[in-house]
Amino acid sequence: MLEIKNLTKIYDDGTRALTDISFEVEEAEFLVIIGLSGSGKSTLLRCINRLIDPTEGQIIWNGTDITRAEGAELRKIRRQIGMIFQHFNLVKRSSVLTNVLSGRLGYVNPLRSLLYRFPEKDRKLATDALKRVGILDQAHKRADELSGGQQQRVGIARAFMQHPGLILADEPVASLDPVLAHSILGYLEQMNQEDGITVLCSLHYLDLVQRYASRVIGLRDGRIVYRGTREDIRRMTDEQFREIYGAEAVRVSAGFEAKGGE
Amino acid sequence: MAGNKKKKPETWSAGPGDADFRPLVPGPVAGIASLFVPGLGQMLAGQLRRGFLLLGSLGSGAGLLIWRIHLLAHREADLFAKLLKAFDRRPFFVGLVAACILLLWIWNAWDAYRQTKPKTRGGIGIFVLIVVIFFSLGWQISEINPYKMIKELPDAISPLSRVLWPWKVAVTREKQEISARAEILIGCEEGELPRIPEESPGKPYLMVEPRCGELSRLDEDNKVIKGTVVTLTGRGFVPDTVTQIWWIDSLSNKFRPRQEGQYVSVEIDKNGEFTFDLVMPYRLIPPSARGPQYHEVEARQVTGLGKLMVGDPLRLTLARMAETIFMGMMATFFGIIFAIPVSFLASRNLMSHSWVAMLIYYLTRTVLNVIRAIEPLIWALIAVVWVGLGPFAGIIALTFHSIAALGKLYSEAIESIDPGPIEAIQATGATRLQTIMYAVVPQMIPPFVSFSIYRWDINVRMSTIIGLVGGGGIGFLLVQYIRLLDYRAAGIAVWFIAITVAILDYASSEIRQRFV
Repeated sequence: MLEIKNLTKIYDDGTRALTDISFEVEEAEFLVIIGLSGSGKSTLLRCINRLIDPTEGQIIWNGTDITRAEGAELRKIRRQIGMIFQHFNLVKRSSVLTNVLSGRLGYVNPLRSLLYRFPEKDRKLATDALKRVGILDQAHKRADELSGGQQQRVGIARAFMQHPGLILADEPVASLDPVLAHSILGYLEQMNQEDGITVLCSLHYLDLVQRYASRVIGLRDGRIVYRGTREDIRRMTDEQFREIYGAEAVRVSAGFEAKGGE
Repeated sequence: MAGNKKKKPETWSAGPGDADFRPLVPGPVAGIASLFVPGLGQMLAGQLRRGFLLLGSLGSGAGLLIWRIHLLAHREADLFAKLLKAFDRRPFFVGLVAACILLLWIWNAWDAYRQTKPKTRGGIGIFVLIVVIFFSLGWQISEINPYKMIKELPDAISPLSRVLWPWKVAVTREKQEISARAEILIGCEEGELPRIPEESPGKPYLMVEPRCGELSRLDEDNKVIKGTVVTLTGRGFVPDTVTQIWWIDSLSNKFRPRQEGQYVSVEIDKNGEFTFDLVMPYRLIPPSARGPQYHEVEARQVTGLGKLMVGDPLRLTLARMAETIFMGMMATFFGIIFAIPVSFLASRNLMSHSWVAMLIYYLTRTVLNVIRAIEPLIWALIAVVWVGLGPFAGIIALTFHSIAALGKLYSEAIESIDPGPIEAIQATGATRLQTIMYAVVPQMIPPFVSFSIYRWDINVRMSTIIGLVGGGGIGFLLVQYIRLLDYRAAGIAVWFIAITVAILDYASSEIRQRFV
């Protein structure tokens, strides 16, 4: 359903973020991208929904080339692709409900939405989404009054409101503790398995990768250095892990294990 | 540090900044070069900026000194005579600056020599001298004179105290005229004596004795023959006041008689009574007059005994103060309305998606900067030419400045917002307008409110002085009072400006704290 061909991104300042990336994403996959900070994971995800314009290459989404899409066509593609962020990216001063409803912006009448008016049907959807992530009682609080884990659940509900075919999750648990990480990834797994939503997720912790990924791509310095299936990952050794992460890497399986290097 | 230097004298790193420095010329050459052109030696020693700084300050210092000497002794023809004359008039200033410049010249040569030696590179002693030179020049050029402040303080105390405590004119009483008359017969030969006025309680009463007499006359030599002395007795006047005496002739012409060159006035005692001996004044009896002539004498008081009233200065000040506050409010209001769309155009993060947008961004920024660079007072002058004197001109001036200032503040607030929500909303497939409404506006509200209230505060302050150039408001009144030397009235205006600004300052900071 998603095919990335020879994707390259060079930023205006000359930084080479991605070099010749090619891979395919199958329907209803849980594809995990691993790699160090700065290896190009965020750039890759943002190229897919064109928050960043790629320099070269193609991204084929259900037959259309996202890199060529503009205006209304691009917005139509974007609304089918939900996105979840490391820092949640909620509008802090708006209510939880408004944040969730904003997931429908690609569908509703643009003029009506400028007055913060949404159809009753969408309000119902928002309530259901909040119920699903278990924070319906927080709906009328301001987003910044919620804890980190709750905020990420709002982020998930917002993405779910788009009825997406694909969810891009950019290190969704990197700013949460390991227990919360499992709960958040649990919601993603549930959407993946029950609703058949494809998930493209970048992760840091190897044990989370081993637990949730159906397939793994490893990035290093903007190039794909590893491709593996769920079984490959389960058998992965520290040496292989270090190959992806580079010599200075540390196995951070749950974030608390012994340090390498020094 | 010093120990370090001694350990490795062969390295060139002792000087600040560059580690691998090589002077172009040996020390003495640098010194001599600086003696001819100040700073040249330093430049040759590789200290380019130091050289230019010395050249610039010595050159401009000497130039300014020559200018001041010329002003002090512009009549003298040749330079030396000018110098002597100027030294004669301002020995301390001319002596100090000339000596410092001379010293700086010599020091600069020595400094150039030292700059070639790694151990003695840098050093800021020489700049102290430059500061002394420019401080002295500044003192003289801006005519600073603390002695004058002390000397002229006694003269200033009286008007200043009126400004400081102006409340005497804040409240006045309604003026009330109290008067009483008594008739008098001119010449006692002919006609009946006038009646003695009746006394009625609560009203002033005047009696004249005798009830007839001769007016003052002139003899052939134009000498005054004094008329009859009559005794005036008055009762029922306001105690402890001064009363004017008026004379009314048979044709009802009123005038104030004089005695020994002064207008006649009497002092009322504490019981409201007086007695006074009045010489009947000089008055020509018209030749056509027939029959007995009756004149009247009147005692007249004008006292502030009526009911309490708000004085003119206070009344006008309050009216103008209201005008001022509303001027500031309206200007802020219009400023906000125009500044909001402008600020979106002037925000880099919202305008960086295409080169057309970037062009608009740069254009808006430039226009805002130009408008902001022109003071509201100057805008007011322009607006007065445009729409005439009055508050509307002031509002136009303040609005212009507010748009520019708020536009800049708002756009900086927009630029500093968290980009995360913007990309999140964009990722949902929202349009640009939706993104602004959902991701930008909620983040903007606190800084917008804060800046807007702050601007209102500034605008009211500005509108207090924008009247100085005819822009309406209290400044308009203040400048009139000051020009009329009515320091009490001006004092009231100053007090109200201070009170209003203080209240506003407090209120605006309170509101901003609560909101943000």
